[in-house]
Amino acid sequence: MKHFYYLFLMMLSISAVSQDHAMHDMEGHDHEGHLHDTMVDGKLLKVNPERFDRFVSTLKGKQVAVISVSGMVCDFCARGIEKTFIKDKTVLKVDVDLSGGKVLIAYSPDKNINFEDIKKKILSNGQNATDLQIIKM
Amino acid sequence: MRLIDIKNLRVNIPPMGIKELTALVLLFNCLQLEARPISYSGGSTFMMVSNNMQDSAYYHYSPTYKYSLGIQHIKDKYFNSNYSYLRFTYLLNRRNTQNSQRNLYFQSGLSSDGLDHYFYGAHGDWETRRLFVGFGYKKTMAETLDYIEQYLQVGVAPYIGEYGDLHTWLMLKSKKNDLTSNWDTYPVLKFFKGNALVEFGYSDTSTWDIHIMYRF
Repeated sequence: MKHFYYLFLMMLSISAVSQDHAMHDMEGHDHEGHLHDTMVDGKLLKVNPERFDRFVSTLKGKQVAVISVSGMVCDFCARGIEKTFIKDKTVLKVDVDLSGGKVLIAYSPDKNINFEDIKKKILSNGQNATDLQIIKM
Repeated sequence: MRLIDIKNLRVNIPPMGIKELTALVLLFNCLQLEARPISYSGGSTFMMVSNNMQDSAYYHYSPTYKYSLGIQHIKDKYFNSNYSYLRFTYLLNRRNTQNSQRNLYFQSGLSSDGLDHYFYGAHGDWETRRLFVGFGYKKTMAETLDYIEQYLQVGVAPYIGEYGDLHTWLMLKSKKNDLTSNWDTYPVLKFFKGNALVEFGYSDTSTWDIHIMYRF
């Protein structure tokens, strides 16, 4: 059993080091292409750019709702969000950006996106929608 | 409304290095879990548990994210008997923040053996994408013997996966059952990908503690 504990402690150390590095990367360093400067409706848009780029690559002329969600700390708990939104026929595509705490939803261009409706759907999965940014592609 | 310049969007994602872990999961894919006792509104969950005390299969349905109703069939190794529980779990409290979630649940079950065999208790957890802390307390009232089960669990994610990746947790679990007296502490590995979750632990005294879960 001792070996298991040593392994666990070692992994804890590795994890702490990698987290430190991640924090270091996040704190005030000028990595190319960060979204910190991008504004939508006067607010910073913080998403995972590669993930966002991939998501919108086929969405010319469509609307993308970027929803800030609190409590979305794991993939397994976010699954229901995708399942809930995809039932809506005006929803073309759904993705979850865990690191940014965002849900991306592609809607048809004529859809009137309602934040209250989105809040209810997110809450039905147990999380809270705190903000909405709409981007016309 | 100002459009964003997608072509200039870049981010650093830490390396995953998870192929070996996928193989490990496949090795243990016949293996459940109490950590997700309620699904999203309209969601169902199937779980299987195998440990030194019991083998069980548990299905629950969540009409809302606040509670779930389910049925659990148990092969009780300690009392050498088979029975089922009609189960009810209720979310007493949840706090969502940008980087964390905290939950407190009430759990209960009524046995097919009769009204004098039932259980109740509570379990809770707090987690971020990196850290997990959980506890559980369950009191079972049975015709033959009443007993209490308790556990504490802490965990760390060695890497931060994105949506759709294989996610891994290294955990340490300590549990006590009145029937077996002592606290038993052992390492646990947890993996999940998509709708499937697998957790397995091993200790010298209680041998394998295996959980598998699928949500749909």
